[in-house]
Amino acid sequence: MKAKTTSIVDVLKRLAQLLLVVIGATFLLSLLLRLLPVGLKELYVTGLFEEDRQRQIKELGLDRNAFSYYLHWLWDFVRGDFGRIVLPGGGGESVASHVGRALPKTLQLVFYTQIFALAVAIPLGILSAYRAGRRTDRFVSYGLFTAASVPNFVLGLLLALIVGAKLEWLPPLGYVPISESFVDHIRGMVLPVLSLGIPLIASYTRLLRTDVIATLREDFVTMAVAKGLSDRRILFTHVLRPSSVTLLTAAALNMGALIGGSLVIERVFSIPGLGTEIGFAIFGRQYFALQAYVALVAVGYVVFNSVIDVIVGIVDPRTRERRGA
Amino acid sequence: MVLERFRSLDLFTKLCSSWLTIMILMAVLGPLLPLVNPREADVESMGVGLFSSGHVFGTDTNGYDVLANIVDGSRLSLLIAVVSVGLGGFLGAALGIVSAFVRGKFDYVVSLSFNIMLSIPNLVLGLALVAVLATSPDPTQAVSSNRRVVVVMLSLTIVIIPILGRIARGATLTWINREFITAARSMGLKNHQIVLKHVVPNVLPSIYAIGFLAIGVVIVAEGALSLLGVGITDGVSWGAAIARVSGDFTYAPHSMYMPVAVLALTVIACNQIGDYLRAQLDEREGKI
Repeated sequence: MKAKTTSIVDVLKRLAQLLLVVIGATFLLSLLLRLLPVGLKELYVTGLFEEDRQRQIKELGLDRNAFSYYLHWLWDFVRGDFGRIVLPGGGGESVASHVGRALPKTLQLVFYTQIFALAVAIPLGILSAYRAGRRTDRFVSYGLFTAASVPNFVLGLLLALIVGAKLEWLPPLGYVPISESFVDHIRGMVLPVLSLGIPLIASYTRLLRTDVIATLREDFVTMAVAKGLSDRRILFTHVLRPSSVTLLTAAALNMGALIGGSLVIERVFSIPGLGTEIGFAIFGRQYFALQAYVALVAVGYVVFNSVIDVIVGIVDPRTRERRGA
Repeated sequence: MVLERFRSLDLFTKLCSSWLTIMILMAVLGPLLPLVNPREADVESMGVGLFSSGHVFGTDTNGYDVLANIVDGSRLSLLIAVVSVGLGGFLGAALGIVSAFVRGKFDYVVSLSFNIMLSIPNLVLGLALVAVLATSPDPTQAVSSNRRVVVVMLSLTIVIIPILGRIARGATLTWINREFITAARSMGLKNHQIVLKHVVPNVLPSIYAIGFLAIGVVIVAEGALSLLGVGITDGVSWGAAIARVSGDFTYAPHSMYMPVAVLALTVIACNQIGDYLRAQLDEREGKI
């Protein structure tokens, strides 16, 4: 097959697919509300008089059918209007303001974790591939495998208890904004980032190790060795780039698990992020808010994955050709 | 035969499969074991440590026996995992295999639906499903715990369907163009015969391998849901047992170690066995 470069048509096709997934996911979520064992009207319409009731029903869009309700919801959602927290008397806070407060904290947690995990896993993966086949290698592999399988909340609970409460090295719970104190902010983030990051480091290292071992067998590495380049130079400038495709894709795919994990970790460490808001929404029976939060997570996840796909194309031109073929 | 197979394993896989066997035996034989009633608090010894008399794993702040709770919790945790992965795997595999076999519009719709469901991170999807389906019509009354268990199982089944469905679809696509399928077709076999006789047996091993990983995913998800307060809240699953003692930094923090360790070890064991099966598969493929 002849290799082609990515054309505009391919990009548009991908975008259409992306849009379809996002619309499908948000539509399913809005249908989900209709599966509630209790009607939304019984739940939220509390007006004493018929006029009040009609007004509330109209405000919440409950007079519309599923499809028209979704279209209105989507139009609002795209413009950044995520609805309101529904109070019995009407006029609660806007969900967008909750998102504005909570989302940055969750994003901080997720990005610190990714950066930390990649920063540790890249040198570790290269090193273990460089020394592959030694006797210690097998034990390291099993160790990494075990660490990758430990559930993050297990790590979180243990770290909070042992490092936080028993040894008192770091705060076991709480969140400090950067603006208040940078040092305390970082100190508070260490344990949550470690609990999310350690399993990630292990799985990233394993992936990178496999890929680096494969790349080391390629001809251009032999060529580089023949030219007399130092091992370090070969590993970091010639081998790392072609070996990092699986790693990047895995990092993007892990974003979903990481967002899910951060909900639990926020709970364990009392970080008032999106996970905490989702918890509030569930216990406060705020299903419109819940819908908006989950939709945001889904949209963010899909968009992020596509961005990584593009970056992978830039990092490794071979995949671009393969995809075009 | 089973014993021979076991001998051929490496040490780590041996340990993992033994651990899983113990857990399954524990779950099945739990009621027969001479244990304290897990739901009866021993007010005489609240929050005692490991290896205290009468309570091998100690008790938690409320005086519940930790070992009895782990044994009792294993039943529900493993049941949820097996039912969700079994049912979700069956439905997902059936959809995936059929859609890869017939291709065309049906395949497009099925793959798109899988992608849509996978676009919501699995824990978030599970959380949303449980939150909506486990709502009690009467706000003053909690949902019955049986309903909760069913809802958690159902939600996690829905989470598993696209994961295993996509694997099954991918595996089917790699087999569908082989010569023996063409041969079977030229021999005049009907489509359903080809699928059942030639496709399913080849796709199943990879489903088993990912199925074990999925069991790990479900056990973790159940624990996470319980920790978030929407899963099993009654204290009869591992997640619930952990949730009850989490955040207790002062009175009996040691009562968290054992349930957490048992859950983590079980997940590690499931992952290792899944990984082992997958490696076996690659070897088999390599031989062909």
